[in-house]
Amino acid sequence: MASADKPINTDVPEKDVFTLHFLQSLSNLRRQNTFNSPEKTNDRVKKIKKAAYVSMARAAGGTNRLWSRALLRRAAKENSKVVRFPRRKKRVTCLRRRRSNRRDPVEEEEAERLRNLVPGGGGMETSKLMEETAHYIKCLSMQVKVMQCLVDGLAPK
Amino acid sequence: MDLTGAFGARSAAVGACREPPGLESLHLGGGDGGFTALLELPPTQAVELLHFTDPSPSSSQAAVAGVGLDVSPPPPPLHAYGALTFPSNAALMERAARFSVMANEQQNGNVSGETTTTSSVPSNSDRVKTEPGETDSSQRLENNRCGIGKRKELDKKVKGSTKKKSKSSEELPYVHVRARRGQATDSHSLAERARREKINARMKLLQELVPGCDKIQGTALVLDEIINHVQSLQRQVEMLSMRLAAVNPRVDFNLDTLLASENCSLIDGSFNGTAMQLAWPHQVTETEQSFHHRQLQLQQPPQPQQWPYDGLNQPAWGREDDQGHGNEHNSLMAVSENLMVGSASLHPNQVKMEL
Repeated sequence: MASADKPINTDVPEKDVFTLHFLQSLSNLRRQNTFNSPEKTNDRVKKIKKAAYVSMARAAGGTNRLWSRALLRRAAKENSKVVRFPRRKKRVTCLRRRRSNRRDPVEEEEAERLRNLVPGGGGMETSKLMEETAHYIKCLSMQVKVMQCLVDGLAPK
Repeated sequence: MDLTGAFGARSAAVGACREPPGLESLHLGGGDGGFTALLELPPTQAVELLHFTDPSPSSSQAAVAGVGLDVSPPPPPLHAYGALTFPSNAALMERAARFSVMANEQQNGNVSGETTTTSSVPSNSDRVKTEPGETDSSQRLENNRCGIGKRKELDKKVKGSTKKKSKSSEELPYVHVRARRGQATDSHSLAERARREKINARMKLLQELVPGCDKIQGTALVLDEIINHVQSLQRQVEMLSMRLAAVNPRVDFNLDTLLASENCSLIDGSFNGTAMQLAWPHQVTETEQSFHHRQLQLQQPPQPQQWPYDGLNQPAWGREDDQGHGNEHNSLMAVSENLMVGSASLHPNQVKMEL
């Protein structure tokens, strides 16, 4: 309920860190024997994608950020069984039930969509969600840059 | 010292302005003179007090004379501590707390000298006239204290430790928000307004982040834009991972090479990296600590091995260095070049050298 916040911190590490983690995960993938078989391209794609996200989560501040925590947890779960997190939205609304209409219906709809996009967004209040989104966007763009450079380097056409 | 007497008298005079007993335990040390007690304060506080804009001595005298102390100094000082905004009050209460402590000390120290309050007041007022410089501060303090003393809820806060005051003035567990004109003042809407402000601040942050969001008016559209941006970024990641998957079979992502070449200088590092690659071909579980350790080892330039592609590589990297695309492109190009080289060295049969 404080109105004066300390400045919101959305610092993201340098791209070296991202590159490091991503390449680590890629080489990990490489070691798996079944990786290079040409039939299972889709699997490979999925694995690479997952490796990209996980490495991004680890690079971007590990468990300090809610979204990275949720991502890592989700990835760990996926290894055992394919289960998505149940969204804990009910908890959010119960915490903040007030008399006046605090929530624009439009804004809440958007916030809902954002929650679906950003990992771990289900359990967050709207202001926290937006903080996490900002950090997530920064990290995503960094990861995209890294991957773009890699792809360009490996297959310059 | 006159000031001592003045202090003691003042404290007695304003005894009706209830000295919080809880503060007697607080000691500022140096209980002899009021002024030295003033000096014991943190310098900022003391300076603040001494330079506090003061009511004229006569008005303060009038203020002191009345015990009920409807403080009627000219508006600005009252305004300073009449304002509802929290920080000034907190600082004020801190001061008040400290000075009530000092006043207590004075009282305890000068008990013998004090008989009646009324008799001391006129003498003090005399002293007020003669030594405006010194006593003004004390006057102001008393004014402050009594001005505050009238507000019961603030009194209760004065009882708390001064540490809590300073904390609450900086990091507010809750905040007194001044209601603007024409707006509701019940706690719900206040809280909601605070929340709204928070959300708007973060929305501004997001607007700066997402390109093209500054022009848009209205939070719904901005949020739409943000959502689109996030979706596009995620799709880009997916696309790139598909392309990487296509590229992947040809390349050996050897960790040592890449790490070394990335973080050392471009040319040296790549040679070192390849040298290391020959040495440790299969080290994959690379933690950051061991990496740094190895990086330290790399400082002494080892001789690059007889490298079949030396002639080819050097101009390539030199070329890249000169181009100065920008760090990212350079380093990653070097990395990927190194990849090519690495794979060429280790798997000459497979490789398509792409330099």
